[in-house]
Amino acid sequence: MKRRWVSLGLSLLGPVSALLISAILGAFVMLAIGKNPLQVYAVMISYNLGQLDSIGSIFYRATPLIFSGLAVAIGFKAGLFNIGVEGQYYLGAFFASWAGVYIKGLPAYIHLPLVILFGIAGGVIWAWLPIYLKVKRGAHEVITTIMMNSIASAVMLYFIHDVFMDQNQGTLGAPRVRMPPIQPTARMPTMLGFLHAIGIDMPNYVAINWFLVLAILAAVAVYYLLWRTPFGYELRAVGQNPQAAEAAGINTKNIQYQAFLLSGAIAGLVGLSDVLTYFGYLDIDFPKGYGFSGIAVALLANNNPFGIILSSLLFGFLERGGLGIQALAGVPREVTTILEGVVILTVVTVTAIIGRRVRAYERHMAALATAAEPPIDTQAPGRGQ
Amino acid sequence: MKGLRKGYAWAIVLMLIVSLLATACGQKPAPPQQTEQPQWKVGIVYDVGGRGDLSFNDMAAAGLDQARQEFGTKLQTSELEPTGTGEDREALLRTLAEQGYQLIFGVGFLFTDAIANVAKDFPNTKFAIIDSCPEGNLPNVACLQFKENEGSFLVGAAAALKTKTNTVGFVGGMQIPLIEKFEAGYTAGVYYINPKIKVISKYAGTTSDAFANPTKGYELATAEYQAGADIVYHASGKTGEGVFKAAAEQKKLAIGVDADQSLTAPEDERPYILTSMRKKVDVAVYDTIKAFTQGQFTAGPQYFGLKEGGVDYSINQYNKDMMSDIQPKLDELKQKIISGEIVVPTSMKEFNDTFKKAVGSSGH
Repeated sequence: MKRRWVSLGLSLLGPVSALLISAILGAFVMLAIGKNPLQVYAVMISYNLGQLDSIGSIFYRATPLIFSGLAVAIGFKAGLFNIGVEGQYYLGAFFASWAGVYIKGLPAYIHLPLVILFGIAGGVIWAWLPIYLKVKRGAHEVITTIMMNSIASAVMLYFIHDVFMDQNQGTLGAPRVRMPPIQPTARMPTMLGFLHAIGIDMPNYVAINWFLVLAILAAVAVYYLLWRTPFGYELRAVGQNPQAAEAAGINTKNIQYQAFLLSGAIAGLVGLSDVLTYFGYLDIDFPKGYGFSGIAVALLANNNPFGIILSSLLFGFLERGGLGIQALAGVPREVTTILEGVVILTVVTVTAIIGRRVRAYERHMAALATAAEPPIDTQAPGRGQ
Repeated sequence: MKGLRKGYAWAIVLMLIVSLLATACGQKPAPPQQTEQPQWKVGIVYDVGGRGDLSFNDMAAAGLDQARQEFGTKLQTSELEPTGTGEDREALLRTLAEQGYQLIFGVGFLFTDAIANVAKDFPNTKFAIIDSCPEGNLPNVACLQFKENEGSFLVGAAAALKTKTNTVGFVGGMQIPLIEKFEAGYTAGVYYINPKIKVISKYAGTTSDAFANPTKGYELATAEYQAGADIVYHASGKTGEGVFKAAAEQKKLAIGVDADQSLTAPEDERPYILTSMRKKVDVAVYDTIKAFTQGQFTAGPQYFGLKEGGVDYSINQYNKDMMSDIQPKLDELKQKIISGEIVVPTSMKEFNDTFKKAVGSSGH
């Protein structure tokens, strides 16, 4: 029991020290542009934690990242590098929008779940080709998913601009490249009513919505699946050592196939919080980049589903704080981007270094323990790729 | 040996922390710079990655600069730029409004919904959006829109009058109706002068990165020059830098957009810039601020075409010799557009459906 707490402490050691180091490195960036880092951090914290709308926004920003981080983590756990989350969520968003616009006459309690299923389907379809090529032909998924991302971007523009563009826009400006508005029955409601009911007076423009709850449930489900089911056991075995898994009688290809499609299914949900709650239509300004952020989120969390929730919140915090220090402390946008980059880079490096030390330490402890009392699980918890 | 290395590492970390604290503590709070309170607070939110495009966003910045010079300390300004994702634009506009900014600009059509949302929550704050207009006639939103097709018509005519190969090119950023307006005006201008001239049109990409990709601009322009075009017009923001580079390399001509790009391009590329289609975002921004300070802010759509001096072709010290022989013809066309004798199409569909028939196949 005590060892569990020790290893939990050790697994937090990486991210926490990484954050401290990146805060120090970030301070030098700010000194370089003649800002007082302490003042900037103070503005960031008071802007982020001192106003309810910022807190709501952080949760709203974290929502897509949780899905994205989970999708990436499932891939990692199975030994697959799904860079294609980016393209998979474009397609998910498009499928969901299509169902939200063109399937008519359903009540909300059927329409909304259906639209979400369409989103999942979009992600699965876009994930299918890379994993098919990998399992059948040995094409590396990194190459194929990068290509699929570019194709997704072009396909989405084609659909939005050439096929499904909203023809009934106002005549005031140049027509905008976007699909018709999604019907009210397919829109995901915000959590504002619920928050007001429990006494949190969240301002009405904050887009925090029920996809947040779905994302947390998804994290729980992924945890259960990976660590509490035979499938999850096999998946992790394949990820850690495919040859050993094969030798143990696991159908490696089959497991990778299923894991990748599952990753794609979750990826299909990434964009829905934005499309179904905030925008209400799919346009060319649909937020990009969640797929790539998801890789950083998963790395920071060491692929632990609960860690992914925390690291998504951290990313939401940094993004929101970036706006705050830009508007209130005069830190230019470019510098806030540099700061985010510094954080990601430091976090990835430091967690890797400390993770290696921690594993060495745990192996050492395990060896001592084995010497004292035979059979024991030498598997370090939350081991990354 | 290992201990020594560790010692170094700690020493460095310690030094970093000490120097950090020293600098942080050493900074005194800035003395109040202004003796008088600013009278007006004007904020502007550029588009993603916008500043430094030497084109659309920088033009808006130029308008703000001009106002700053005129009003000095009476005018407090703030310039922001979203980092990308959905909510950013709205959050920045809202933060400015909360900070008491009285006039807030959103630069680009992507601000349409964000400005509508924030304007409804802050009825006493004035907003202005460039290139678009939210639905619903909001009483505190000014829509600054340009007739880019009219200016593009003139540079299209200039290209048609100057081409020796009877082939000209166009490089657009992202293929959206706004950019197609440039293409349609340009193509119409070429057609009006000589229907036999071929126009090669290419677009740089499928995401908004298409406006910030000089490498792609270089490739597309090079391809068009190699296909026989001797003049290429670009409407692609920063991507156009690559178009100028290709023009200089091939010793062919290019046409700039938004700003007078002969003035901002590198020295060695200037001789290859025939002219620029000026879209005077700076004038629109400045005029809006000026009107606001005089209590004459006007909400609703405002159009800046040739008649209003909102678009034009540019003449400067670098191109005046190249342009002198065709200037009379261009000015004649300008008058015809202003008087309504020539109706410039706003989309390729309009160009194909109506403009071609109206002009006929003989040209002018």
